[in-house]
Amino acid sequence: MILEVQGLAKRFGGLQALDGVDLSVEPGEFRAIIGPNGAGKSTFFNTLTGLLQPDSGRVRFEGRDVTGTPPHLLARLGVGRTFQITSIFHDLTALENVQVALLAHARQVWSLWPKARALHGERAKQLLSLVGLGGALERQAGTLAHGDQKRLELAIALAGEPRLLLLDEPTAGMAAQERLESIRLVHRLAQELGLSCVFTEHDMAVVFAVATRITVMHQGKVLAEGTPAEVRARREVQQVYLGVPA
Amino acid sequence: MKPAGRLALGAAALLALPLAISDFWIFIAIEVLAFALYAVSFNVLLGYGGMLSFGHAAFFGVGGYAAAILMKKAGLPPGVAFAALPLVAMAAAAAAAVVVGYFSVRRSGIYFAMLTFAFQMLLYAVALKATGLTGGDDGMTGLKPPGLLAQPLAYYYFALALVAPALYVLFRLVSSPFGYALRALRGNPRRLQYSGVDVRAHQLAAFVITGAFAGLAGGIFALSSGNVFPGWLNWTASATPIVMAVLGGVHSFLGPALGAAVYVVLEVLISGKTEYWPLAMGIIILILVLLMPEGLTGLARRRTA
Repeated sequence: MILEVQGLAKRFGGLQALDGVDLSVEPGEFRAIIGPNGAGKSTFFNTLTGLLQPDSGRVRFEGRDVTGTPPHLLARLGVGRTFQITSIFHDLTALENVQVALLAHARQVWSLWPKARALHGERAKQLLSLVGLGGALERQAGTLAHGDQKRLELAIALAGEPRLLLLDEPTAGMAAQERLESIRLVHRLAQELGLSCVFTEHDMAVVFAVATRITVMHQGKVLAEGTPAEVRARREVQQVYLGVPA
Repeated sequence: MKPAGRLALGAAALLALPLAISDFWIFIAIEVLAFALYAVSFNVLLGYGGMLSFGHAAFFGVGGYAAAILMKKAGLPPGVAFAALPLVAMAAAAAAAVVVGYFSVRRSGIYFAMLTFAFQMLLYAVALKATGLTGGDDGMTGLKPPGLLAQPLAYYYFALALVAPALYVLFRLVSSPFGYALRALRGNPRRLQYSGVDVRAHQLAAFVITGAFAGLAGGIFALSSGNVFPGWLNWTASATPIVMAVLGGVHSFLGPALGAAVYVVLEVLISGKTEYWPLAMGIIILILVLLMPEGLTGLARRRTA
């Protein structure tokens, strides 16, 4: 298992946001987590990555207990992440965005004297080309179109050479056609780079296009899990989420 | 003009300047040098790191007091004490910044500002009450550099020899990988954290480094003005670098230095004419900021663009 979560729980006041979530992800999987708004998907990612401390439960990454490990240390271990609300460095150029991530990955951010401009430029350009932003190197990131910002965030996450990539709604805010193109890009890169992915998503067309397995969350619990065909057939899934008839 | 050419011209101007002006204005020029370093160090935090500190005067003040105590109370020969001054002022300010920063960077935005503010008031109270060490309300007076360095011209060059390299070090800092990460965390600390950077440690380091340079500025200024007062540590004093930085432009490395020069010279010119100079300064700054939201350097950029 590359990722193993057991009984993860998190309560906010009167709301049991996570109620004993179990999840096991095999290397090479492209796992979708679906569920209605408020099902606990984002809280799950935040608790999984140590941004929030779980009330109980365990998280193992590549067999190592990483429960409550803060995000920067988890990132160094090989877990990358993107956010539901696109998270980039708005006032830096696209190139600098990726350079900073590469500097962080190389543990060079404490280097006080060399000029950063000259560092990791080639690799940054390579990563930006991979996500289709090779022509926007010097653009200020905040001025890029929404879809391009999402792709830039992907390049930032890939700069950390993660073995597990967590994507929180990677297609949020995109038009239907762009969504499919986007997730296929992520899928292709994940296969080429040999990454395992866990992503949350609302668009079923996107989910069924790429997911190897699907986990359905509802009210902080795992409601069902299986291959896309199995999940599609489950009656309770259809009721809470897919809508009947699916 | 090429950057190297501009740099050479600037250096030549700074070297020639005191030869062309009276002793009174040399003192003002020394003040400008000290406050330029102070304002630039402040702006590395604000303009690059996005951290608005309301307590930066604490480190300027600690540097000033450290210099004064070193010269008056340490019992060292004046030459020795003076030689140690830059390092002692920086070390004292850095030590204070480690403590203040350790607690303050745990919060961001206005809460960070309030914590720095609270610590500064604490240090103000210490300067006021630790009479044996600081002279209390009266401050410490009669400070001067030893021997020939007490000449305004000589002390100007001494100050320049400290301020210019200090500014260069800060410039290299903001252009370094450390500086890139600092700029990145200004806009999005969370993203940086998920790329593997310990954001708090990074902010603390920036806080301590800039605090140390503010301390150096305070030490330099203490020996040119001849005294230090608790007022240096009062909360109103922390407005000075903010105004200088905004006036000069927070998006330019040397903008705050220019802001410091304009501020200091205006203060001298106006306070010589009227006792209501804070009112006049207020009006002038208001007009400048309203007309030039990006500061003086922003105006220059728009002209050349």
